[in-house]
Amino acid sequence: MRLVLVCISILVMVGLGFLFKRLLRPDSFGVYGSYRADAINEALEVPIRHGTNGSCFKCHPFEAKIHKAGLHKTISCEFCHGTYADHVEGDKKTGTLPVKTGDQITTLCLRCHNTEIKARSEEVIKTVAMPDHLRDQQVKLTHTCNQCHHVHAPLKYINRAKQITGLMEKG
Amino acid sequence: MKINDPSPDMKKRSFLKNVLNGTIAGSLYLVYPMGAGSLETLEQIPGIGDGAYDIHAQEFTFIVDITRCIGCGSCCVADKREYNVPDGNYRTWVERYVKGFSDQIYVDCPNGGLDGYQTPRSDIKEEIRDTFFVPKLCNMCKEAPCVQVCPVGATFITPDGFVLVDEKRCVGCAYCIQACPYSVRFINPVTRVVEKCTWCYHRVRKGLLPACVEVCPTGARKFGSLKDETSEVYKILKGPGVLTVLRKEMGTWPALYYKGARREVV
Repeated sequence: MRLVLVCISILVMVGLGFLFKRLLRPDSFGVYGSYRADAINEALEVPIRHGTNGSCFKCHPFEAKIHKAGLHKTISCEFCHGTYADHVEGDKKTGTLPVKTGDQITTLCLRCHNTEIKARSEEVIKTVAMPDHLRDQQVKLTHTCNQCHHVHAPLKYINRAKQITGLMEKG
Repeated sequence: MKINDPSPDMKKRSFLKNVLNGTIAGSLYLVYPMGAGSLETLEQIPGIGDGAYDIHAQEFTFIVDITRCIGCGSCCVADKREYNVPDGNYRTWVERYVKGFSDQIYVDCPNGGLDGYQTPRSDIKEEIRDTFFVPKLCNMCKEAPCVQVCPVGATFITPDGFVLVDEKRCVGCAYCIQACPYSVRFINPVTRVVEKCTWCYHRVRKGLLPACVEVCPTGARKFGSLKDETSEVYKILKGPGVLTVLRKEMGTWPALYYKGARREVV
């Protein structure tokens, strides 16, 4: 009689165990391993905020032409201008991205082009020391970078000027 | 003396020409499909994002080329913008290593590199031998300590090799933050659950590069599929260059490789 009681209680315990497991275990648990497989799909729902340069060029063909021809072609539009998601949603323009002006441009340029940060090899990037560069070029020390350099194609005007003045051969 | 000025007639003609050109260009502009918002069609990782994705047959790798990193912080800015990471937390950051002639190493990372590195370090007395930048992000370990320690199974390795966090299961106990040898995890002060770099899993699955790779101006960050033999990362991994992983002795088998890392980098 006692043995039967023990057997029944074990069976009840096992049954309860399975029941609790069934109730508490999340759906899709264990499809790939000891975790919720649905979490992978949830991770995919994070909104994409950065597009590519290609997505910007679609509507800005003028800037695209200059940007692609210049030394800055590897720079992402969105780094300086802001994210695609802040500007476009679906097919509609939803916001205007701020335009950098004056000293903001110089600060932005010097994030990469400052010689004083020694870790920048000549093979990777051309750097300048400010304000020495302004003195060398014999311009006012208050000049911002974009007064001589086109921000999308830094040597666009420089090369053109050299061609006109005959300092550089055409081609 | 001949006056070089064009006749009024010529002026009129060129003016009309310009106006006409302008109008034609303008009308073309209107007809031209302004197809923005078609992010899905932009494919950067070949073969991914066009429907069929076999989660078991993928392998990705990330390579950081320290010799090309200029410490501009574009990646940090992009990362913060992509995920709206709260201030003071960083999913990826760029450290500056300065090495003196006495072999002393000075590491700093003001605001995670978000503002870039505008000024050199002024507090180092000795002569400087070497300066370099080291971008840090999730190492996507194949033997991830964070996954082992999670008591609720909220962090896991997907079949395609990404270590992700299940935000609904995470209880915020921060065991994984202690376990991670690379300190890439933090508790998001808004959601109160653990957050970490995902190598932009949501972008990769749609065939886009991670945001930090997308914005890197010098190509210091490279990402790609190892199943694609034409990809840059495959060629680098197969090639003769020296690649290292961080904290190899921990046995975590990272999928993140560093090119040109000095032995001081940890």
